[in-house]
Amino acid sequence: MNLVVYAILIPLLVTFIAPFFRPRTAAIVSFVAFIIPFFVTLWALLTNQSFELPLMNLGKPIGEFYLFADSISNAFGATICLVSAMVALYSLPYMKHRFEEMRDEIDDVTREFRKYFLLFNLYAVSMLWLVYSGNLILLYIFLEISLLASFLLIYKYGYGNRQWVALLYFVWTHIAGVLTLIGFLMIAFENSTLALKSITTVSFLAWLLIFLGMIVKLPGLGPHIWLPWAHAEAPTPVSALLSPLTVGLAGYVLLRIYLVSPWFINEFRNIIIAYGILTSIYAGFSVFKQTDYKKLLAYSTVSQMGYMLIALCLGSYGLLGVVIQYISHAFGKSILFMTAGGIIALYHGLRDVNKMGGLHEYIPTISNAALIGFMNLSGILAVGMFGEFFILKGIVDVYGLDLKLILAVVFVFIISGWYSFYTLRRIFYGTPKGMESPRVSRLLDTPLYVIGIISIAFIFPPLATLFLKSLKLCILGGVCP
Amino acid sequence: MIELIVTSLILIALGSALSFKSPKSVFVISLIALLIMLLLPEYRSYVALVIAIGVLNLFSMTLMKNQIKGVDYALTALIAIATVYVVFTNDLAMILLMFVITSIPTYVLIMTSEGKANVEVAIKYITFMVLATVLFLAGAMLLVYANSVNAGYLYVLGFVMLILGLGMEVGCAPMHEWVPDVFDTADPIPVSIVASIAKIVPFVVAYKILIMTTNPLTTNIVLFVAFVAAVSMFIGNIGALTSTNPARILAYSTIANMGYILATLVALINLNWIYLAFAGALLQLMANAFGKVGFFVSIKDGGASTYLTYALAFSFIGMPPLIGFWGKLFILLSLVKVGYIWLALILVINSAMSVPYYIRLARILAKPTIPSVVNAIVLSAVALTFITIVPPNWFIDLAKAIIGGV
Amino acid sequence: MIDIATLLFLLFATPVACSLPIAFAWVYRPGAEWARKLPILSVFGLFVSLCIALYILFYFPNGTYTYPWLPDYNINFVFIFDYLSKYMGALTALIAFLIGVYGLEYMRHDYRLGWYWFFFNMFTSSMLLVVYSDNLMLLLIGWEGLGLASWGLIGHWFRDDDELSYVGIIGRKVGPLNMFWSPSFGGWRAISTIRFGDMPMFFAIAAIYALTGNLNISEIDWAGLFHHIGAIGTVILMIALLMGPFTKSAQLPFSEWLMTAMTGPTTVSALLHSATMVAAGTYLFMRLSWYIEPWKLHHMHGVEMVYLFVLFLGLISALYGASVALGCRERKVLLAASTMSSLGLMFACAAASFWLGKIAIYVAFWYLIVHAFAKATLFLVAGHLIHATHDRFCCGDLELARKMKVAFVATVFATLCLSGVPPFTAYWVKSAMDGIMHHLMHEVGSAPLYLLIAVSVIYSAFLAKFLSLNFIKGDKPKHLHLHGEVLMPIAYAIMVSMLAVLLYAILGHAEPIAGGFVEKGFERSSLAVGLAVLISYAIALVVPRLESPIGRFLGDRMYMPALNDYIIPKIGWAIAKIVDYGNRLIDTFCHQAIPELIATYSLGIRAIQSGYLKRYVKIALGFVMVALIVASLVRW
Repeated sequence: MNLVVYAILIPLLVTFIAPFFRPRTAAIVSFVAFIIPFFVTLWALLTNQSFELPLMNLGKPIGEFYLFADSISNAFGATICLVSAMVALYSLPYMKHRFEEMRDEIDDVTREFRKYFLLFNLYAVSMLWLVYSGNLILLYIFLEISLLASFLLIYKYGYGNRQWVALLYFVWTHIAGVLTLIGFLMIAFENSTLALKSITTVSFLAWLLIFLGMIVKLPGLGPHIWLPWAHAEAPTPVSALLSPLTVGLAGYVLLRIYLVSPWFINEFRNIIIAYGILTSIYAGFSVFKQTDYKKLLAYSTVSQMGYMLIALCLGSYGLLGVVIQYISHAFGKSILFMTAGGIIALYHGLRDVNKMGGLHEYIPTISNAALIGFMNLSGILAVGMFGEFFILKGIVDVYGLDLKLILAVVFVFIISGWYSFYTLRRIFYGTPKGMESPRVSRLLDTPLYVIGIISIAFIFPPLATLFLKSLKLCILGGVCP
Repeated sequence: MIELIVTSLILIALGSALSFKSPKSVFVISLIALLIMLLLPEYRSYVALVIAIGVLNLFSMTLMKNQIKGVDYALTALIAIATVYVVFTNDLAMILLMFVITSIPTYVLIMTSEGKANVEVAIKYITFMVLATVLFLAGAMLLVYANSVNAGYLYVLGFVMLILGLGMEVGCAPMHEWVPDVFDTADPIPVSIVASIAKIVPFVVAYKILIMTTNPLTTNIVLFVAFVAAVSMFIGNIGALTSTNPARILAYSTIANMGYILATLVALINLNWIYLAFAGALLQLMANAFGKVGFFVSIKDGGASTYLTYALAFSFIGMPPLIGFWGKLFILLSLVKVGYIWLALILVINSAMSVPYYIRLARILAKPTIPSVVNAIVLSAVALTFITIVPPNWFIDLAKAIIGGV
Repeated sequence: MIDIATLLFLLFATPVACSLPIAFAWVYRPGAEWARKLPILSVFGLFVSLCIALYILFYFPNGTYTYPWLPDYNINFVFIFDYLSKYMGALTALIAFLIGVYGLEYMRHDYRLGWYWFFFNMFTSSMLLVVYSDNLMLLLIGWEGLGLASWGLIGHWFRDDDELSYVGIIGRKVGPLNMFWSPSFGGWRAISTIRFGDMPMFFAIAAIYALTGNLNISEIDWAGLFHHIGAIGTVILMIALLMGPFTKSAQLPFSEWLMTAMTGPTTVSALLHSATMVAAGTYLFMRLSWYIEPWKLHHMHGVEMVYLFVLFLGLISALYGASVALGCRERKVLLAASTMSSLGLMFACAAASFWLGKIAIYVAFWYLIVHAFAKATLFLVAGHLIHATHDRFCCGDLELARKMKVAFVATVFATLCLSGVPPFTAYWVKSAMDGIMHHLMHEVGSAPLYLLIAVSVIYSAFLAKFLSLNFIKGDKPKHLHLHGEVLMPIAYAIMVSMLAVLLYAILGHAEPIAGGFVEKGFERSSLAVGLAVLISYAIALVVPRLESPIGRFLGDRMYMPALNDYIIPKIGWAIAKIVDYGNRLIDTFCHQAIPELIATYSLGIRAIQSGYLKRYVKIALGFVMVALIVASLVRW
């Protein structure tokens, strides 16, 4: 059996073991459980490994259940592992603070930590397995498990009117999930199977339903309204998985379907790309008006997900862009949500941007991490650069020098840079507001830098050389010309 | 095979006679009678599931003192046996008899309570049930007759009557009025039986009759089924959204669930896929039964362990890999397959709408985890919702086998 | 012997690596005594890269060196060593090192040394990368590094609490405009403007890659590319590509960020915002033109349009910058405006290569070198003056000049050299420039020449004004604190002496190209221009101040800030507001209206349950009847 399979089994096992440890040990165990598969999947990505592992055969119309990996899966998998590992460590000080805040509702912190780590690991591991599932039903099951776990985390540990927000999140994404499911089922009947390798055709209605479902999940303009609520009110470590990893998986699903049957996207390319651009610009402008740091980041997520839609329409180089954009956004946004969490933990729930300003004076390490995060979002000296590069190349490949489109997409990128640095200034620079300098737990800032350094290392050899080579072999070398 | 059934029936009859002496022995005898069923050679998984529900019902009956202690066990067992037997026969008279047999005991059961007999509820219930039974039987007869003389008009009339009877029996909107009242005012334990195992036979019978009598007009007339199903889903889910009383929430949830199951009947237009629809209906009925038993038993005790109530709620919502997911999945599969996409979409919307009240229900009934009989029963129900952790393709084979001979 | 790869690695990595200790030290022990000694290490890093850059200048053969980066995409680390990059690299490293030395003293008591030195050194590395890289993608890495470092250093004094770090008179308003800018604002404005240019440039790079599959400037088949995409395509592509240089080099209308960039420490202004970073834009344009060889593409209208556009954009920006500098009374802002003006001249001159060939690029490049040293000197002096007088505005009299002899002499020499007074350094280069614009008469008309002369005259006037107001005829400074600085005067003394070296190089024919400059310098027309420049220099020296509304208009930068501070933000906020309302609308609709509607229905449905059996039976039987009747009536 392949090394990758063993590696992704570790977090699955640890999910059920970690709750038996004390919080500190549990955090470390979870961290180790995700960092090992990170290295393994990264290795697999860099060396362009691929495998297939049959699990069982369900007969028509569901077909074979199997795990598989190619460089796309590995790229997503490595990202998920890294972010989950770092957030697991980060959870420890953050959730300690959160439980402290919730002391009226909680009687035993250690017990709550047990529940928390169970749900957290379940959440992360279901996303990890999702990208390795070879059957659409299996994929859907992991999608729903991740939804369930994240729902419970918000429901139990969120902020504000958390039960309402959790329900809202659940309802929206459930609609998304079930719409997609119907799409999958139609595929099942058309092909008598849902095994990715055996699907040959995807009809219009199936594609449409999957696309609509994933648009809700991604989210596109319109359905995006659930996201600021969910991402802002979730406990921050959950936000730091939800926004960077979960929503982007919608892009992963679309990518997989695209690789099987690209006709839908190709046919409606103009509409989809216009919608993606509109989403991105709309959400980009929304960022400026936000006063809640986490909500602000949530809108920026919407904007970044617009990139994914745009990239999806741009041929094979666009697909490269989708993968890289996912990685880049995951790194950047996880760092940023963790900085938001850092501020919340250190300043007793401070989230109002208007009350911030000059925070660099007091928490320079978090401020610098935020800089790296925003660099990732705006594609400055971080892996996002390649994402933008391939998107732009895709435009020329597909549309030639179409001035309107060029201006629109370029403006999308500009807007990201603008709101990034505007927000940095609002929060971290300017005249300090006379707060006290707190003692920052090392777990609140070091994980951020680890992600940050890796995100920068991804533009230099050997990482850049190898991972782009593998992706090229995977995406450009075969499935779709 | 029939020997086993007869043995069980004799056991139950003897047991009921003992009820004046020792209710406990009736319990044991009923249990044995049920377990004997497991020896049946065919449809083992179906039998096992039904017996599991029956045994759960039996155990939950122990939680309740009532006027007919002892006989209630026997009645419960009788329903279960009828539910088992209905899949073994294709004889029209026999299946209609099974329909009646599962219906009648509930009249008595619903009346029982720990204090005075609950006559008012019983009147409402019995009125509707009698109406339903009449409509159903008349519809069935009309269908069979119309089929033999090839009379289209009669077929349509029979079809509509049968569906109306079925809907009234199980509680589909807009004939659902009895459901919230009965579920709310009767004792939770008999309700748990009415809401769980008693729903299976009407559907199986309806399936068998309708499949037997399909003709070209079916294509048009199933629209009526789709209509009732859609109304039922909406009324159930919307009604539940603002209810705060757990029993009422469950009542509306039942209405909605019956809507989902009724919807599968549209697969009649394409008999190639009817096994899938039947699998969906059956699985959803099982999911509904496990969930309802679990919830009503919790209501009896004012709640159950947090984990258990949430697990039940998620099964109802349809989270994989719980049984509720597979039920909805197969229903959706069949709807999509026979081309009723709009009904599938309505189901999706309803499924999303149901999320808030199931979660609310789970929260209302959540209590700290302590060892108790109630928790044990609910735990068993939850454990049963997890049987589909391995994808239940065996269930499709089962449905094919049951429906194939018709 | 160290191989070339290691050498190049050291060239780029040493500055950054050497600044890491202080960066980390400052995070964990800000302000510790031992940490304040670490900047020496950073400067050592700059010194190492200087040595390597000089080694490259003197001993490397021309050519390219390729190391794998993304070989599967034909994108690699390609370094090029040619006339432009060798000189530019050495210039960058030298100026960075000198300013680094100056900074040791200038920034000694700063509260944020880790940040400062990290970005300072990162800047140097990035700049060297831009200079030496032949691959556009690699160049872009350096380019983004420049932008980031510029942002970090402009906003260095992020607390916005020091009057000395502002630009403009605090509290002054003209109409709705605040005419003062804080460091954190300056940083944001710089990066936002630069992003605005970088993204089109990034697009152009991607487009070039998509169209040719190659990103090495020296290898791309430019003629083929332009031919393939036609005139309109060429214009779109080239303007997109040049948006990067235009914003980076603060050409109109992107000039404002450079003015407010003066909120950064003076060392930063000297290194980034006069000598090197802003010149990177023009440098890139020269490098591109060098290999595009536009003089061979005369039949391509697209290319011609682009070069014509750059020519006039450069000249008009130069005129604008010079006029603003003339009206400006803030030391650093004056120098910034003059920098912009010079950059405009460089663009214009390099753009003339379309008609005149490579020589125009040589001239532009030489002007860049002269300008870099002179302007860096002036900035360093300005920094010293600000330290000494605690005043951002020009002030100082002869007494100050006596006390700060080195600064005074350096200023005199630098202004003379830069303004083009014969026979000082810039005179020869400017003469060549005059000659080039003169040649354009046939193709473009006489406008470029007259614009150039006008700019030259104004340019020398404000330089003289700068000298006069700071050392001769200015107000007496309110405070005067000389702290016995040593490193600072040494640094700018060396810097200014480089101008003499250049003068020697030109007159002594040490550089073959320079021979042509001297020849041009002795032409009558050049001498005439030189005379005009000298006269304006003299007048301004004597009459450095002239109160007039025009002066105020110029000093307020012709109200260009309105574009950045009023018009664009207003539009942006209007859209943001609409978008915000949109979000609220969707939010209310989805999360309030629909749930409330459903709740109403829900209550309605529950209202059926009155508890009366009669009613229930009526409803149920009613439905049964209706259903049956409908079923009967429909014809099957």
